[in-house]
Amino acid sequence: MSGISVKAGGISFETPGILASGILDENGYTMKRILQEGAGGAVTKSIGVEERPGYVPPVVFEAHGGIINAMGLPNPGIDNFGDEISKAKESAKPVIGSIFASTPEQFLKLAERMVDYGVSAIELNLSCPHVRGFGAEVGSDPILVKEIVKILKGSISIPIWSKLSPNVTDILSIASAASESDAIVLINTVRAMAIDIYARMPVLTNTYGGLSGRAVKPIGLRLVYEVKKELGLEIIGVGGISTWEDAMEYVMAGASAFQVGTALWNHGRSVFNEINEGLASFMKEHKIKNLTELRGVAIR
Amino acid sequence: MMDHIKVIRKIRDTPTVFSLYFKWDRDVKPGQFVMVWVPGHSEVPMSLSQTGKEKCLTIKMYGDTTRAMDALEPGDFIYIRGPYGKPFSSTKGKTLLIGGGSGMASLRPMINEESTGILAARGKEELLFENEFKDGKAICVTEDGSRGIKGIITAGIESVDLSEFSMIYVCGPERMLYAVYKNIQGKTENAEFSLERSMKCGIGLCDSCSVDGFEICRDGPTFNIKQVSEMEEFGRTKLERSGKRIYF
Repeated sequence: MSGISVKAGGISFETPGILASGILDENGYTMKRILQEGAGGAVTKSIGVEERPGYVPPVVFEAHGGIINAMGLPNPGIDNFGDEISKAKESAKPVIGSIFASTPEQFLKLAERMVDYGVSAIELNLSCPHVRGFGAEVGSDPILVKEIVKILKGSISIPIWSKLSPNVTDILSIASAASESDAIVLINTVRAMAIDIYARMPVLTNTYGGLSGRAVKPIGLRLVYEVKKELGLEIIGVGGISTWEDAMEYVMAGASAFQVGTALWNHGRSVFNEINEGLASFMKEHKIKNLTELRGVAIR
Repeated sequence: MMDHIKVIRKIRDTPTVFSLYFKWDRDVKPGQFVMVWVPGHSEVPMSLSQTGKEKCLTIKMYGDTTRAMDALEPGDFIYIRGPYGKPFSSTKGKTLLIGGGSGMASLRPMINEESTGILAARGKEELLFENEFKDGKAICVTEDGSRGIKGIITAGIESVDLSEFSMIYVCGPERMLYAVYKNIQGKTENAEFSLERSMKCGIGLCDSCSVDGFEICRDGPTFNIKQVSEMEEFGRTKLERSGKRIYF
């Protein structure tokens, strides 16, 4: 679509909306369909060294216009994921491999396998809020983050994205630590929970989960804005985007592209095309030739 | 939104299958499903076997959660969210309901004067709802020959004239659905299948239950014969709970 193609995180996208990691991206057939129906790219489910079944359901709960989830990083293990990427790549659009691990060495091993599978970039999951020893527990340690990014940037030829958690006291120190990345992806879910008052217990089997969807958009927007304003890093925005207006806010806060996940729940796969059309029409009305002209324009 | 609802009746349908009846003020159409939470155990997808004002869950015991449900008695509570998914299309005229094992539970709301059933199970004690069909309209097929035709479900299909029916509805494990599909393809265009796969979220987000890029929980669970004929994964391959691909 003219005008809304973007270059972000070292990759060119025909359209700026990318499928976010964790949503509808475990099966290659699903990613392929979503890419064919309007997503500019797709980030895979986070893949680890070993197969994990994830938590016993309930793993999701609807709350306050969003979803709280604790899937528990289910994944088939890196050795079993190649076929899914091959299938998704039949769409001829960029597939970004998300990986999670505890150590820099494991991250490197996973990234090398993802490169073998032909992904366009690697997204480091430094932010899953609900599994011990992974995700946010790794991503809240600036020294470790810096080491992981440095090792991967030194060995991997494709772009490296770092997906960070909003559940930290000082986002700027973590974003600085990850500043060698080709893009910072903000935000992952916001740590949350729900209690069923009749059962008198937490609903999610894991008790704690992460809130996503419309409810978290103002939080994601603030983090993107703050990191862009203070550090000027390349950012891919994610968190509660379900309409083109949401996406435009993220762009004006400084995002080069954006990801959509939870909105697939209430909007379905058509959400990508709806957003693309809305952005194109807004740009036409305001005589904007390329979306990048609006990147960060709201920053004061 | 999780509803908590009081069980009003409990019926044992077979040695391993029981039904919980309850009133639930939501509109549910045949073929749709709900997520049933058993606190302290798990949450599982289930079709309703009765969809009027009084509703019913017919449950086959196969694991920890369903056994915990068997401990429920009238007055106890169940926790439900939904309904979810695309219902079977409604149709006038003669219908054929093909149910494998407890698959007949989700077809039960469509049993009427004009429906014929093909009920298949390993043995007679696993046959469900035979008596709810009009006399002579339930064709039973058992693997051990303990009731009706001895054989598998396709043996039952051979005994009817498919052209008589304005719609054929099929529900059961995917292997059985695939056998039925292979048997009836080319003979009719009026058939709908209710697919079942490992399901976690129930709302079209986690990708556990997908088949060819369609989420069974949201785009299904019912698909027509044309849709399933175009699926590469149907009857051949699916993902396990971890997302690991396995082949049937």
